[in-house]
Formats: sequence, C-alpha cells, structure tokens
Amino acid sequence: MQTGMQARKYRLQGAGLDLALPYLMLAPGLMVVLGVLVYPLWDGLRASTRAYRYGSPVADVGFHNYVQLWSDAQFLNSLWVTVKFVALSVSIEAVLGFALALFCLHEFRGIRLLRTVLIIPMVITPVVVAILFRLIYASDAGMLTALSEAMGGGGVQILGNPLNAFIGLVVLDVWEWTPLMFLILLAGLQSLPHEPFEAARVDGAGSWRVFADLTFPMMRPVLAIAIVLRTIDAFGTFDQVFVLTRGGPGEATRLISIYGYDTAFKFQQTGYAAALFVTIGLVVLALAFSAIRLLRRIDAS
Amino acid sequence: MMHSSRLTRRSVIKGGLGLALATTALTTLGLPMPARAAGKKVIIGAFADGGLTPFKEKIIPLAKEQGFDIQFLEDEYGVTLEKWFADAQSGAGQYDLYLLDDPWVPQFGAANVLEDLGAGGIDGSDKDWIGSMIDMGYWPPQKGPRVKGFENAKPTLICVPFVGDLQTLTYRNDVFTGGAPKTWDEVIAKGKEGVAAGKIKYPVVFRGVSGNPIVTSWYPVFLSFGGSFFDDKWNPIFNSAEGKASADFFVGTMKQNTASGVVEFDSDQEGAAILGGDAGAIIQYSGNALKADDPAQTKVAGKLDFGVVPKQEKAIAQMGIFIAGVPKSAPNKANSIEFLKWYVSAETQAKLSEAGSIPVKRSAFGIAKPGNRLIPVALQQLDAGALPRPRTPDWAKVEELLGIELNKALQAGSGGGAALDTAAKQVKDYLTTAGYY
Repeated sequence: MQTGMQARKYRLQGAGLDLALPYLMLAPGLMVVLGVLVYPLWDGLRASTRAYRYGSPVADVGFHNYVQLWSDAQFLNSLWVTVKFVALSVSIEAVLGFALALFCLHEFRGIRLLRTVLIIPMVITPVVVAILFRLIYASDAGMLTALSEAMGGGGVQILGNPLNAFIGLVVLDVWEWTPLMFLILLAGLQSLPHEPFEAARVDGAGSWRVFADLTFPMMRPVLAIAIVLRTIDAFGTFDQVFVLTRGGPGEATRLISIYGYDTAFKFQQTGYAAALFVTIGLVVLALAFSAIRLLRRIDAS
Repeated sequence: MMHSSRLTRRSVIKGGLGLALATTALTTLGLPMPARAAGKKVIIGAFADGGLTPFKEKIIPLAKEQGFDIQFLEDEYGVTLEKWFADAQSGAGQYDLYLLDDPWVPQFGAANVLEDLGAGGIDGSDKDWIGSMIDMGYWPPQKGPRVKGFENAKPTLICVPFVGDLQTLTYRNDVFTGGAPKTWDEVIAKGKEGVAAGKIKYPVVFRGVSGNPIVTSWYPVFLSFGGSFFDDKWNPIFNSAEGKASADFFVGTMKQNTASGVVEFDSDQEGAAILGGDAGAIIQYSGNALKADDPAQTKVAGKLDFGVVPKQEKAIAQMGIFIAGVPKSAPNKANSIEFLKWYVSAETQAKLSEAGSIPVKRSAFGIAKPGNRLIPVALQQLDAGALPRPRTPDWAKVEELLGIELNKALQAGSGGGAALDTAAKQVKDYLTTAGYY
C-alpha cells in the first residue's frame, strides 16, 4: 500500500515537472525580454507623453509632443532626408545585389574568393567605414582630392556641398550594405528548383526570357524580404552619418536618427525625442506590415 | 554501427548549466583587471583638446607625487556633453571630475547634478582668481540675466576654472611683417599680398562645420563688429545691423579668402592649415597655438606669432575655458575636491603656467616659462576684452540652430544677414516653447 502511494506521488511529481519545465525554461528568456524590451518600450511611451526640462520630467502633456512633431520644420526635414536616403540606397543596393548574385551564381575559377571578397564591406565596423570614406572625401587631404590634383584638377568638394554630401552618404551605404543584399539573394537563387530552368532551356528560352519569366518571379519573395530588412535597417542608420557629416552641411544629411539623438541627449528634450522615435517606429512597423501583406499577395498569386 | 545522440531534457539542462558556468568563469576570472597604483583615486573625464596637453604631461605626474591616482578618460568633444550629462543624471558614478567646456555649466547647474564646491571648501571669492573665469563657475550666474525659475536662487559655485583659454590671433610674421593685424580689413588685404608673394595659399582660415564649430569661428568676428547676442530678457538680438554685417563679412569676404573646402573644416583641418603653412591668420584657442613653436608639429616654426583678435569696432574675443565640476554621483568625491584644492593653489597654477597653459589664477600669469609668447598675449586679450557665451542651459540648442543657418549661408557664400534673421526667429520660437518669456 505504502509503496503504491509513493509510486503515485513520484508519478505526480514527474507530471508536475513536465508541466512546469517549459515555463521554467522560458522564464529567464521572458525576464530578459521584459527587462530589456518591454519595460524600455513602456517607459519610452510614458516619456513621450511628458515634457522634460533640464533632463527631468516636469509635466504630463498627453499627445502634445506627437502633435508638435508635425509642425517642427527640423523634424520634417530630417524625415524627408531619411526617406530619400532609404529609398535611394535600398533601391541601388537591391539592383546591384541582384546583379552580383546572378553573376556569382555561375561556377568558375576563383568564384569562391570573389564571393568572399564581395562580403568584406559588410563585416567592417560601420564607424571604420565612415572614417575610411572621410579620408576619401576630405577636400583638403582626401584621396579624391589627391587624385584630382595629380591629374591637374583642383580640390574635390564632397562633404562641403549639400548634394554631394548626400550622394556621398548614399555611396557609402551602398558600398557597405550591397553585400547583404547580395548574400540573401545569392542564397535565394541557389535554393531555386532546377527543373523549370532546364525545361526552359530545352524549350529554347534565352537568358532574358528565363530571367523575366522564371528567375525574377520566383525570387520576388526573397527580394521583398531582403528589401524589407534593409529598409528597416537603413531607417536606423546612425554611426556612418555621425562620423562622416554629423548631419551637415546645413541639414543635408541629417537623418532622423541624428536629429533624435541630438534632441534626446544634447538638448535634453527627452519626451519630445521619445515621441519622435515612437512615431518613426510606427512608420517602420507600418512599412514592414505592408511589405508582409504584399508578400502574402504575391504568394497567393 | 551508427552512433545516435539523442537530445534529452537532462542533456539540455546540463549543457545550459555548463555554458552559464563557463561564461561566468570567463568574465570574472578570465580577464584580470590591470593593476593600478595605490593612491587617492580621481577619475577625470575630459574632451580631447590640445589645450589640455600641458596638464596631461606635466601636472598629472605632479599630482601622482602628491598621492593622487589620476585616471584620465578622454573622449571626442562632440559626445562628451551628452555622455557626462547622462552619467550625472542617472547617478551612474563613472567619473569623479568633469572638465567641462564652460557653456555647459548652466545645463549641469539647472539640472542640479554637480556638487557645491564652495561648501567643499573652495573659495570662490579669492581675489587671485581671474574674475571673468571664476564667474563662469556659478549657477545661477552672479551677473547678467537669469533664466526663469532661477531668478531668486542663490548663486552656487558648482565649477572651478581649470585651464584658462580664450581666442587670440595667430598670424604669419613673414606675411604680416608690421606685427599683428589690427583690423579684419588688414587681415584680408595683407593676406592677399602674402598669397600673391607665394608665402601662403589663403589669408585666413576658420571652422565651417555647422553647430559649435562655425559659431565659435564667427563669434569673435561678431563681437568685433559690436554685436550682442541676447538682451536682458533673453530676446535674441544677434541679428542686429552689427550682427548682420559680421555674418555677411564672415560668409562673404572671409569665405572668398580661405580654403575652398572651409564648409567642412573643423579644428583638425583648421589647425593643419595654419601649422602646415597654408593660412596667413587664424583666430583660435590655445590647443593649436601651443604647437606653434614645435618643429615636429608645424612646418612654419618661428614664423607664427600671436596677437589680440582684430577689430572692426572692438577687439573682443570669445572666452571658453576648461572648467571642472564634481558630479554628485562621484565615487571618490572627497578625493576630487582635495585634488581641486591642490590644483587651483597658486603653486600648482604656477607649474601649469610654466608648462605652457593659460592659468586660472592671476598670480601665475607672470610665471610663464621663457619663450612662452602665448600667455602674455592672452593677458593682453583679457584686458582688451573677452566674453563668455550666454549663460543659458539651452545654449547647445541655440548654437545648433544658429550654426545650421550660418553653415547654409557659408555654402552659398552670401546671405549671412538673412541667415541670422532665420536663426533669430528659430531661437525665439524655441525659447518661447521652453518657457523663457
């Protein structure tokens, strides 16, 4: 009798452990998520509804900070610069990345080395990349100026001219992040089934026809994912601009991340900066959801 | 026979525990902390600037002899304000002493994050202080307008001057052969002759990057044209006729007579231009001036002299000193205050002066080492006039707004006056929102 009861107790204990174990194993991760994601997010949302003075909250202002954003010429300018920067950079990276992936799909002597070399820019620390480009662009002692002078020309103005500085920033971003596009798209291309391509070749389809009717349609989901990922990432670009131009000349390269950083930390307008970042977060989230819906529609078709 | 390894609950828990233990062991035992000298520890935060070189090279070793264990942490200028403010406000306690740029004092003062150094035994009324320098250590300020909320507060000494610094003129003595140019017109005219003679590439050089750099370069021109920044009610008046004339001169005449890439010039390019022999004259703080006689750091050693800033109406420079504050969260507060008392003593200031820096005590001005030509000129400039920037906790934002507009005008090469009008409106709007009126 005693033995039977004990056995039943052990069985129940075992069952309890089985029930609790998944939660116990989830607990540390859950606590980390609550601590480093949920709490800061909640705190940020709370801060966005407050007015700060000299770094401390002084009043609850509801949605005033959010409303004020849309009449802030500096915010609107930064948003516009960011949208232009993201659209231009990501488009060029997608086209270049796709072209490089198609090229590197072929097997030939040295292809492995080439693939490795192509992803090097992506693994360099962004700050180092920005310093490299500063050394290239500087009008007094930069590489471009040195080249120009060696060929009998004058100093090359990149960082001192609004349009050139903006283009210079896009070039930097394209140089650094095209490899990510290339890598994602190459993986996508390598995972495509061979049969449709063999069938097309048997039917005598040319390269362009194969690309237009098979490769591109089949790659659309991968391409969409790569573009969404890069877009979200590009919205948060900070290090390169901080080192290269600090948002100048004037406001030509002042991305929203730089404006938000200055607002929060330099000018101590914590609540206003929180509202700014929440707004941008919502914009990016909306973009991501739209992209996912687009993907589903593509899948369905 | 095929070996199969099953992932069991036990193996996952064992593996996880093993990983956690290994990580803990590596982080706690794997990286031994470097051994530090025993002594009264003081962690000093500073922004990288040549003006602190004499302190680093000559005074820190002396402090060690006095039993202080100095840990000197340097950062780039552009990030220190926000980094230290966050440290002070969160009470993180990463520093014992900040070497602030003096316009930051009001921001730290208004946030009430610095120790009262007067209560700590530092005498702000000592007549040996340079008056205009010690004034900058009080919040709210003892003189001049005060921002709302601090009208009736008692001024407290929250910072003490650490290294005196103010703008002076550095010029090429082979171009300006008659001595320091007295007016801006002379800087340009004689500079052009120097360019024509092939001695220099351009008459003048300055900083054009938006924000603090361009405002710092424009400020002495603005003051020399007779401009004032705010009235006593905090209304921006920098767009007065004098101010506009100075801005038009700055973005027009001065741009035409400087390096083509000046819009992107910061202190490193500016310093390279004068020390490299390209520029005829420059208004600068002591950081690069201290290198003027060192052949290892300049191509034109012996050809650089110092003078009072040129005038149009007055010869007034901007004063911008290194000023020390002890955060309330400092882990070694008592050591910091003891260190400051030792550092600002007349004896240590004399050593600082000997080392080449501009001291903060009047008695130390006469003790410059033979051949130090900067300190007597600094004293002349103090007598001629040197003004600090307005004492408002919102100076960083004001400087940003003005700097952007000046930078845009500089790109265009014209429209300085209009840029000041735009900036004045933006500043007024911002200060209105901040409750100044």
